[in-house]
Amino acid sequence: MAHKPTDEEAFGVAVPGRTSIPSGDNSVWADVSPLLHGACQDLQEGELIHGDNFNLFAAMSALEIMDPKMDSGIVCRYYSLEEAIENGAAPVPVSVDKTTDIRCIIDIMDHLLACEATWHKGHSLAQTVYSCLYLLQPDRTSSHALLHSYCRVTRATCKAVLSVVSDARTHEEEDLFTMAYGLPLSVDGDEKCLSMLNAVEETISRQLRACKSSSKRRVLEAIEPLQSDPDQEGYCKALLCRLRFRKHLYHLLMSIRRPQGRGLELARKHIASCISEFDCILKSSEFLRASAQGMCEQNIEDTTASGCQAIGFDASLNCRSSAPTPPRSIKILSWKKAVQYFVKLLQDLDIICAYSLDPSLEAALNFVIKFQKSQPDLVARSHLQLLLVQDGKLYGRIPMFALITRAAGLPEVTKDHDIQKNEFMVQLEQLVMNLLKILCTNVAWQRRKLGKMLQDWRVIHVQLELAFKKEFGEASKPSYDELCFKIFQQILMWVEEQTYWIAHRFLILGFELELYSVHDYCMVYWYIYTVLIKLAEKTHLRIVMNTGTAKKKGKKKKDSFKDAGRDYQMPGAVLFLQSQIYLAEGLCMMFSALKNEHVIAAPQSPFNTEHEIFIQQFELLRKACLPDNISYRSFKESTMHANFSNLVMCDYFKEAQKIAKDAKSCFANDPDKMSELRRVEQVAEHNSVALNLICRIGAIDRSLKVSFEFSHHPVFATAIVKRS
Amino acid sequence: METSAKGEGVGKVEKVEFDASEIEYVSYGGEHHLPLIMNLVDQELSEPYSIFTYRYFVYLWPQLSFLAFHEGKCVGTVVCKMGEHRSTFRGYIAMLVVIKPYRGRGIATELVSRSIKVMMESGCEEVTLEAEVTNKGALALYGRLGFIRAKRLFHYYLNGVDAFRLKLLFPQPELHPSLPMMVDKDDSHKHGDHRHSVE
Repeated sequence: MAHKPTDEEAFGVAVPGRTSIPSGDNSVWADVSPLLHGACQDLQEGELIHGDNFNLFAAMSALEIMDPKMDSGIVCRYYSLEEAIENGAAPVPVSVDKTTDIRCIIDIMDHLLACEATWHKGHSLAQTVYSCLYLLQPDRTSSHALLHSYCRVTRATCKAVLSVVSDARTHEEEDLFTMAYGLPLSVDGDEKCLSMLNAVEETISRQLRACKSSSKRRVLEAIEPLQSDPDQEGYCKALLCRLRFRKHLYHLLMSIRRPQGRGLELARKHIASCISEFDCILKSSEFLRASAQGMCEQNIEDTTASGCQAIGFDASLNCRSSAPTPPRSIKILSWKKAVQYFVKLLQDLDIICAYSLDPSLEAALNFVIKFQKSQPDLVARSHLQLLLVQDGKLYGRIPMFALITRAAGLPEVTKDHDIQKNEFMVQLEQLVMNLLKILCTNVAWQRRKLGKMLQDWRVIHVQLELAFKKEFGEASKPSYDELCFKIFQQILMWVEEQTYWIAHRFLILGFELELYSVHDYCMVYWYIYTVLIKLAEKTHLRIVMNTGTAKKKGKKKKDSFKDAGRDYQMPGAVLFLQSQIYLAEGLCMMFSALKNEHVIAAPQSPFNTEHEIFIQQFELLRKACLPDNISYRSFKESTMHANFSNLVMCDYFKEAQKIAKDAKSCFANDPDKMSELRRVEQVAEHNSVALNLICRIGAIDRSLKVSFEFSHHPVFATAIVKRS
Repeated sequence: METSAKGEGVGKVEKVEFDASEIEYVSYGGEHHLPLIMNLVDQELSEPYSIFTYRYFVYLWPQLSFLAFHEGKCVGTVVCKMGEHRSTFRGYIAMLVVIKPYRGRGIATELVSRSIKVMMESGCEEVTLEAEVTNKGALALYGRLGFIRAKRLFHYYLNGVDAFRLKLLFPQPELHPSLPMMVDKDDSHKHGDHRHSVE
């Protein structure tokens, strides 16, 4: 063809802001508007287009062309990266004027940081960090040391973060996060990014010194400035802290990944440096904003410290390479929010780096649980997971079997016993690793996985039990390995205990995730109560066995935990659980009484009953028979007789308070357990008062309104009584 | 997919006075109803649906879609489907809309209830849908009908908001109370275009 058709000729309409798309070698543009128009006229009301790949279901993926909500191609400014560059969208240098160049580069750095934070929060690389044209064509910046080295270190950082999240492999959160198809993430020479950055930093430091000394000389000699730029110093400072922040961030990511936690202390130092550089970055905002007055295009999204629009970004250029469907446009986080994100990330990483790497499974589990309370994001959680589970060992050091024997209260010699080669022991080790990994995932996903896991733990217990019986069942066995017997016995008990621990966490997470409505609380507390009783029982058994082992006494009475001798001191761990058992029971009974006395209205669904709710809520637990012989019927039997007159006689809340107080004496050196026990005491006290009030006047005063809040404890509700 | 939020709306909304008996509920009757449904949904819900999405539902399951009329004007609609999903026959509520001046009067409840009733009679074992965790109105509505919040879906919507998967389990006749009922293995989590994804 001799001449390229314009858009108007090709489409019959002028598409604003677009240069025409050239025809390819084997293709030619043809105007099909008359054909489409004719086809529309031809279809009668109710007629549908059918095709092999266009059935009713498949057709839902169809897009309406030129509808900006669906057709992301329509909002493109440039058809391709080449076109964008040809049109000066990403100039190198950004400006011929040195000061403007620096100012613009600072804006680019800020916007990139905002893009990075947006990426971390769950969007794709293509729409965030790689909306930066300078990153999309790495070679272009080679003539500009500052821009080039900054791009390199950003890429290297993103690559490091991506590999951590990708290695953590939770298979859900990170699907969008790890998509880097077609993006230049690994560029030759990026490993040397720090040396390049250091060189640039050195240059700018010299410039800063020159600025300072020249201004000092001016003051001293009262010389009029000839052609100095008073802003030069401010820009140098702003640049330096940004460069240093990036340097320390990169160092941090490298240190924290060193195997077996060897780099954690160093990582903390870099975290501290990052935070201090951040302070400088924030301080520079005022200066940047002031000197940018009227100099640039207003940044509506406010993604830079100066308030200026950053040059060289276009999120739409990658949309064609983003599979499977063109992505919806996303909003980049504001500068303020990006800074907040990174500060939190640094704080969360610091908590991880400060961890003592206690060689105990229980300690590791407690650490993760506590860490999750601060709601860390994906990047922090992935780092924790990779620290905890490396090469099939805890912190890359402690083999799983050793961890299990220690947790089960077995003596040190057992950790090398041959029994660990048993296929079910190997499977158990896998379950423990999975548990640790899953506890590092986001709580919503975590709860589902914990629920599914229950059956696996139950099955392994059955399998181990069968193996145990097979090994020691026949009394006439010649070689009776006493140690092997002990290992099996205690591991079996520990598996049961751990299974109930998982069940308990599954249940209580429902509160944090707001899965329960107030009408569900009664049955949930009842179930928590039954699970806690089992957990306390198993915990007590384990402790009793340990003490028996330690003292090397002959026979130890293996009785239920209720049997407390006169001089017997109940272990703190059991008291801790018992206080919660009474609290759960008290709440369950209180709810039951309120329902039975019609102070709380039971929901009346036209489609199902409380029975179906019960089945659904506890489906995974009952599938795993945790505990056995639990049914809706047993729940009803326990609760249907509760009323105000008999409830006041059962002092569940008072008992919970008393036991919590006793437990506190066992945990004087454990601040976490102490604060938990204090919370339990508070809830018990408030509910005790509320219960008394309800029971005394509830039957007479029908205007009583009872509501529930989680003001003292995230799981155990506090009753609030009011007269309406 | 989506439910319009009760009591939602910036600024004052003029409520229409009417008696519940004045609302006429009609089962999807054909092509002439399609533009009414499309206009309602386009107006009230934030996601754009192509006509193919509507056709998929109303052509395959016309008996599950209902419209509410007041004095000849379409004021609400519900669009659903049902089918086999991992060995469970389940219903799915895709869209539920009632225009703002008519909210708070039980029209949405009535629309949904009619659809659920058909699902129950057709042999569905359960009904499911997703709702934003912030959509208090929808959560209360479905809660009253017997739905539980079965799962929380982290960052389900593109704007970063979480969703609840809501589920209603129908009573099963010859059921031993201590046996588990349903196998719920639905852990698929789709990013991207949720509005166009159907269970």
